[in-house]
Amino acid sequence: MTIMSHWQTMVLAAALSALPLASAAAQDGRRVTVHGEISDTWCSISGLMFAKGTAHHQCAVWCALGGIPVSIRDAKGELYLILKIGDDEDSAANPRIARMATHEVAVDGELLERDGVNYLLVDRIADDKGVITMTHEEYGIQPFGN
Amino acid sequence: MKALATIRLALMIFTVSSATSSLAAEAWNIPHEKAVVLKGRVVDALCQLKGRCAPDCGAGKRQLGLLLTDGTFRLVAKSNIDFAGSIPDLIGFCGKEIEADGLLIENPAITLFFVQGIRIDAAGPFTPAERFKADWEARNGKAEEWWRADPEANRIIAEDGPLGIKGLLPKPKP
Repeated sequence: MTIMSHWQTMVLAAALSALPLASAAAQDGRRVTVHGEISDTWCSISGLMFAKGTAHHQCAVWCALGGIPVSIRDAKGELYLILKIGDDEDSAANPRIARMATHEVAVDGELLERDGVNYLLVDRIADDKGVITMTHEEYGIQPFGN
Repeated sequence: MKALATIRLALMIFTVSSATSSLAAEAWNIPHEKAVVLKGRVVDALCQLKGRCAPDCGAGKRQLGLLLTDGTFRLVAKSNIDFAGSIPDLIGFCGKEIEADGLLIENPAITLFFVQGIRIDAAGPFTPAERFKADWEARNGKAEEWWRADPEANRIIAEDGPLGIKGLLPKPKP
């Protein structure tokens, strides 16, 4: 081993040790198209602040920017938690995702299922209809009517 | 083979006991909630699930969770701060073992964990999971309600309206 290759080995070892070990449980998911409303996961499962449509839009923007995970809720009430959107792997407090709060969308991506959670790696937003579920006349603007 | 089965059984018992031995979390009365203390390694979700790893768990920009001793992965979705997640509380422990006191919510639609306190010393007290507010105020200044003062949130709401539809405004209060 030359001195140069020794140093290269040292540098490579240091770089590898700085990386968290990739999980042995890393998986290949299945390709899916999911239709539903971009949902504030916390309010959806807590039942707080009527987590649908126009009434919840403002609250959902706040929660998304606060780093609470954002999901897509389909017509059956299943939640698909978004971990990636396009080339962007920053899924926490991502303004791009926050701007889609409560929109009705169709997305193509990879579905990973683990320990009671559907995780979605979104490759493409096939359709974005904007906010179409009108709930504000009945529920006001959440939270607290303002 | 028998020894392996014994080790697996011991790990399972350890995991269950570590998840139920201390029930300090405050009940929030959320459907399907259960107060638990989870012990596990802080990992980023994309790394854990897909093998796409960042050296620092994504530097606060990825969702984080706990990898428990039995291999279960629990996403940690919220802290004690209103409208805020738990990433600021966890990111400093990337790759490290912690104990997290909180509520496990096993909703049929999704299972998530909401953390109320964190410790690395099993004999020590839990530190409240409230780091988000301090970090936000360090960037933006003091605010009674961070969410109403957040510049990015106010930009989005100013552009699209509080109902998410341009030009559609709530009726004035009588």
